[in-house]
Amino acid sequence: MAKTEIRVGGLGGQGVILCGSIIGKAAAIYGGKHATLIQAFGPEARGSACSAQVMVSDEVIGYPYVKQPDILVLMSQDAFTQFIPQLKPGGLVLFENELVEPDGHIPGGSRAVGVPATRFAEELGRRLVLNIVMVGFFTGVTGLVPIEAVERAVLDSVPKGTEDLNMKALRKGYDYGREQAHLIK
Amino acid sequence: MALDDFPATVALRDGGSATITPLMPACSGALLAFYRHLPEEDRQVLRDDVTSHDWAESFLRKVENKEVISLVAKAGGKVVGEATLYRTLRGWTRHVGEIRVTVAATFRRKGLATALCSALVKIATDLGIEKIIVQVVENQLAARRIFEKLGFHKEAILPHHVMDVSGMKRDLIILANDVSQIWAAMEAANQDYAPHLN
Repeated sequence: MAKTEIRVGGLGGQGVILCGSIIGKAAAIYGGKHATLIQAFGPEARGSACSAQVMVSDEVIGYPYVKQPDILVLMSQDAFTQFIPQLKPGGLVLFENELVEPDGHIPGGSRAVGVPATRFAEELGRRLVLNIVMVGFFTGVTGLVPIEAVERAVLDSVPKGTEDLNMKALRKGYDYGREQAHLIK
Repeated sequence: MALDDFPATVALRDGGSATITPLMPACSGALLAFYRHLPEEDRQVLRDDVTSHDWAESFLRKVENKEVISLVAKAGGKVVGEATLYRTLRGWTRHVGEIRVTVAATFRRKGLATALCSALVKIATDLGIEKIIVQVVENQLAARRIFEKLGFHKEAILPHHVMDVSGMKRDLIILANDVSQIWAAMEAANQDYAPHLN
């Protein structure tokens, strides 16, 4: 049974939950798999620690809690510090490389690759789409869910009028992820 | 949407098509020809003398300076429509843009004006413009419907503000679209705080 445990971590306001939700939606609704999402956030909306637990599986998921993630998607240093000890041996860390400094703390045998998602989002015109760049990067590096399924999930999840820029953000992250994928092979 | 996304082909309601591109200096002759072929009553509602070379030169300078973004629609090698986003790059209305659109009579009611304006709204939104306005005369019902479908609403009426070719005074209506709301919705989607989901 192929089951992948994913933890997305960052700060409130970065769209951490939406990032996890899109990955799960792409897998479960458009990718023919099963997925669950559990979200956790601090008492305030913006700037507090926030994370999403996403489980993607070929079979029905009986237990949705992520205890030892296969993949970490990290958008803040606090999230890195908090979640890196939980990473499964040989796991994969995808991080925003202007917000997270791994500083030699990636466990041996694990793989890590960063993306300048904030810069990409700003170059596209809105820092707000940083999380969608991360979704694209995740898709490009892992290949866990087909990009076509992720595109549909993004279109299904973002507000009307923002689709074009969000799709560009997705594609930017995806293309960069495809370029970087060889680093983790 | 950015200017790099063009040219774009638009399927028209009558089965035909048109190609939308940003205005290039090489197009200025075709643009002048388009405006010179417009009937007098159509040109009457335009704010500039769009048939003069001086206007064309001045307009192209503004395009080069990015003060205006102009899209032209072509079919059969001719310009059949033009839409412009005007903006001020500084000052207290720098967050506001204005759209003006003109389509050849033979290409009206085919979805071309909607396509041109929709593209400009997306460009304006991606440029960070927060509010877009458009001016329509009270009897320009089709134009008003197009903009209302794109999210514009009536914001002000200037009574008897314009005079048509017959000398009749008509109300000028200012429609506005607060596109900042679009990105406010994205910000809300990114809040990472959704107690109702607990």
